[in-house]
This record gives sequence, C-alpha cells and structure tokens, in this order.
Amino acid sequence: MKDVVTLSKKVCMLGAFGVGKSSLVRKYVYNIFKEDYLTTIGVQIYQKSVTLKNKANQVGKSINMILWDMAHIEKFDKTIKTQILGASGAVLVFDLSRMQTFNELEEHAKRFLEVNPNSKLVFAANKIDLVDNNKLKMEQFLHLSEQYNTECLVTSAKTGHNVEKMFSVLASLL
Amino acid sequence: MQEFFEQILREKKLSCAIFDHDLVLQDWSKFLHQYCSIRIANKKIHTIWQVFPELVGMEEVVESILKQQTKKHDIEKINKYTATGKLRYYTLTLLPLADPRTGYIQLVCLIADTTTETAYEQEIQQQKYEILMLQSNLAKYGNHSSIGILGNSEKIIHVREFIKRLANVKNTTVLLQGKSGTGKNLVARAIHETSLTADGPFVEINCASIPATLLESEIFGYEKGAFTNALNSKNGLLEIADGGTFFLDEIGELPLSLQSKFLSFLEYKKFRRLGSTQENTVNVRIIAATNKDLKKAVENDEFREDLFYRLNVVATFLPDLHELGDDVIILAEHFINVYAYDFRKKIRGLTPSAREKLMAYSWPGNVRELRNVIERAIIFADGDRLDDKDLLLQEISPKPASMPGDISAIPDSGLSIAEMEKRFFFNAIRKAKGNQTKAAKLLGLSLDKFRYRMKKYNLDIKNSDGVETDIK
Repeated sequence: MKDVVTLSKKVCMLGAFGVGKSSLVRKYVYNIFKEDYLTTIGVQIYQKSVTLKNKANQVGKSINMILWDMAHIEKFDKTIKTQILGASGAVLVFDLSRMQTFNELEEHAKRFLEVNPNSKLVFAANKIDLVDNNKLKMEQFLHLSEQYNTECLVTSAKTGHNVEKMFSVLASLL
Repeated sequence: MQEFFEQILREKKLSCAIFDHDLVLQDWSKFLHQYCSIRIANKKIHTIWQVFPELVGMEEVVESILKQQTKKHDIEKINKYTATGKLRYYTLTLLPLADPRTGYIQLVCLIADTTTETAYEQEIQQQKYEILMLQSNLAKYGNHSSIGILGNSEKIIHVREFIKRLANVKNTTVLLQGKSGTGKNLVARAIHETSLTADGPFVEINCASIPATLLESEIFGYEKGAFTNALNSKNGLLEIADGGTFFLDEIGELPLSLQSKFLSFLEYKKFRRLGSTQENTVNVRIIAATNKDLKKAVENDEFREDLFYRLNVVATFLPDLHELGDDVIILAEHFINVYAYDFRKKIRGLTPSAREKLMAYSWPGNVRELRNVIERAIIFADGDRLDDKDLLLQEISPKPASMPGDISAIPDSGLSIAEMEKRFFFNAIRKAKGNQTKAAKLLGLSLDKFRYRMKKYNLDIKNSDGVETDIK
C-alpha cells in the first residue's frame, strides 16, 4: 500500500466586511458559529487537513489547508499583496442578504489572480439562512463562476450548509 | 539563547527563531511558543513549515532570503489564538544571517508582538464596520419608499403627496393630527428629511413627557440666575434646532401659560430666553402633532384659538391603520423582514390565515401595535411563515366605522343614556345569538327585568336587522 501524500496549501478567504469569512472558517475548522460580528484585522491563520479520495474511491491525497482568513480589503496595496502571495487557492465570499457585497467579488478575483496566476477559486454565496431560497437569482453567480471555470456554492456558516463541501471542492482543485 | 539576549528581546516584545540552511529549527527564544503552531521540544526536529505554517506557499521568498537575494520580508498583522486562548497579533520578519562558525546563511524569523496596538485598531475598525453594516441594513429595510412611508392605499398616497408638496416650501408650520401610533413622528421626520433644511438638525420634544414648569426653559432656554439653580445659561431646543426642524409632539398638552409665548414666537420668529431681555431669532420649521381633537380643546378653553389657527395652516390627519385596507399586509411584511433580520430568523411572510387575522383586526394601537405584534411573533414563531396562531392580538374587536352597535362610538349629534342602554341590550342579544336567558345573564339582569326593558325599548329579539336599524 502506498503512503498517502500530504501537501500543505495556502488558501485565502476574500470578500467584503461582514460577509461571514471568519464564520465559514470557524465552522469548518472548529464546527462553531457565533452570531456576534467581530472584525478581523490583518490575517488570522487556521489549519485543517482534508483527505481526498481518487476515482476508485480510495484515499488519494491529504491536503493540509493553511487558511488565511483575511480582513476586508479596501485597497490592494503592498501589505495585501505580501499576504496573498503564494496562495494556491481562494474562497471568494459574498453575503446573499447584502447583494452589494457581490459587486466586489470580481475585483477581488482579478487582483488575487494577478498575484497568484495559477491558483484556484471557489465562490461562496453565504448566509442562505437569512434569505428566501425561492427568490434567489442564481444566474449572475453562475455567470461569474463560469467565467472563472469554478463553482459557486450557496452556504450558511450558521447551519453549516455546504461549508464542508465548499472547502472539499476547493481542496480537490488544488 | 543567551539570557541577556532574551531580556533584550522581551523588553522590545520580540521573539525569534533561527533555522539552518535546510530550514530546520536550531535556536529559539523562550516565548516563541506563544506564536507558533506546535509544541517545541529540544530533541525534536522541527521544520520552518511546522513552526510557521503561515509561510507555506512562500518557498520562493524563503529561498531568495537564504540566497541573500532578498534582504528582508515582512508579513504584517498575523493573528493567532495561543494555547491559552489569547489572541495575539504580530509581524513576522524573515532575515538572512550568516552562521559565525560555519559561514552558512541561516534564516532568522523575528516576531514583533503588536497585540496592544492592533487591539486599538480592531476597536476602531469594529465600530466603523458595524456602522457600515447598520447603514446597509437601513438602506435595505428602512426606506421602501423614498420617504419611508409604506403603503398603496389612497390615504397613504395622500400622506406621501402631502410630504412631497412641503419639500420645497420653506419653514411653513405644519400640524399633524392622528391617533396614537399612526406614525406622526415618522411623517415629521420624513418632512424634515425631504425638505430644503434636511442638513439641519431635527429636534423633538414631547410636551406631555416634561413637567409644565420645565417646558418653557427646555424650549426657550434660560439665562444664568433666571431661577434658583440656574447656575449657567442654557440654549433652548429652539436654538438647537436653528437651521432645521423643531417637532413638538403632543402639542395639545402645552400649558395654556406657555401657549401665548409660543404663539408670539410663531408670529415673529423671535423669543426671549427665561431671565433675558434680549430677543433671539432662529430659522426653524415647526411641526406640531397631536392625538387630541384641538378644535374641541379650543371649545373647552384648553387650547388657545389663535394658536390653533396659527398651527392649522398646513395640516393633515394621519389615517388609522384599520382604514388602510391591504396596507396592513404591506406593513406587516415590512416588519417581518426587519425583525427576521434582527433576530436572525428565516421567516418570510404570512400564511393566508395570518393575513386574514390581521385584516379582520381593528388595530386600536395602529401601526405601533402592528409592529409590536410582529416583533413578538417573530421571536416565538418556528415556521418559515407567520401563522395566525403566532399573532397574539388583544381581541378580534369589530371595526368602529362599520358597526353601528358599537357602544363606545358616540355620534356627533350626541347620545342619551337611554340610547346607550339600548345599545348594550342590542350587543347582549347579538352576543347571546338571540338567546334571552344568556343575554340577560350577560347584563346581570333577571329574565323578567330583561324582558321588561326589551319591551320598553321596543327591541325585537327575533329580528336582529330590525334592532340594528332601530338603534342607528
């Protein structure tokens, strides 16, 4: 039996303030959710290993994800570029209950790929627990994810909906 | 690491770790464990990626430093929870350092603790983003129409039109009349916010909530020594409202003694502070509101006639909620959105039976009562829509306008005690569904006495329509 290879990969959480980046990471790593809003300053580092199966449903590889939970980026200055440098992937998060947060995503994706051209992206439409699923117009999100050849998953850090799946999808792309 | 060197590092809130050319940890300062992800043991081999996983992905940068192609690399504002659960902020600096014995280049990771400074920044950013979050929520839930008055009924359209018409009219006094909870305050704010003086202050006072003796000094201000304990001069609310709007809620409660001074101000836009001989001039729009019938108050000598006419230049009546038809549902759904968001509940709208219940209710407390009912319902409801059982209403009372048998409604022409008694009988018969024994019991009368009075008032128990016609 072959040894499972463990790869360490840096993943950045990007998006506007209050969209739930920290909540998604905490739900994924510690399975906790807090209603309180606490602004992140700089970058908070988390780690979580995820084991991926190959096509034969056997353990293929293990990825040690180094999650960089980043503060809201107002300006892509030198400090930010230093922080996102070397990332293999990013989760771009927006808040379904504040659709203006969706507008920032494309800029974030573009700037992130300028620094890390070969990295992979996943979009998270977060806080589904606060909106009516029936009124969601997914076309615009799908358009963006198609543009970046990736997935856009509807998530909720509160209920845990799609949180594990979203990180697994990204891990499989890395 | 040598003790004196440790002391210097500690003094400057620094820690450090030194890695050899193969990126294995060689030496470290005592407090390094506060910033790294693993427990460091003397006899173990620790790589830089284990000690500082935040450097994963920066292999090229690390290599460049070891080759001395890069002199320094900083990563600012990293934060981590320590093993004791304390959040620490730090800047990680990577530097090349030649080993004095071998001459090989080593990698120094210098950690500068910035927890105290960054904690201040965190507080400021927290406040900033909380305000921005509130603003975006307000934009979403606070202003469904341009002036924040919801509804499509004719009466609400009239109110909105009234506000719009005032937008370009400078400083005209406005009188808002309507029952408690009909939104007089909201309309006053809407007038202010759409007016030419929207940038000025909006100052309000509730004339019923301040003792009559203090009201004059609150509105007009006072000079030092004007009365006992007037140790300093104080601006009145009129002065504070200069350039904006002064809203007097419950103007009907303004004491008669103060009404003449207020009238004089309305006429000449001038006033004197208490204890002053000097006249002050302010430029304010006055909006007054009342749930009292001011005309009646004038008749009863409780309100000055000249002040009433001075206030009544531009006036409107705000409708009761039960007069607004389907607007009840529009407002209810608005409050559902607001409170569902506030209480983080996924409740979206009303079931048909809940709608029916809301439409059937008379809403004596008007919009304020509706808001409270929805707030309570959102807190306790479990489903994804509010059901009729979630809506706790005082009672399903008949709508006043459509029920001639309503005891509390006194027509303008007046009502005699005999007629009043007749109405009680009518209601008792209706409540007892024509059962005389039950109706008599409801009124606390024996059956004989009940029948005697029925005959006296010529009420026909068999024909309720006839009764209704009779008492109109």
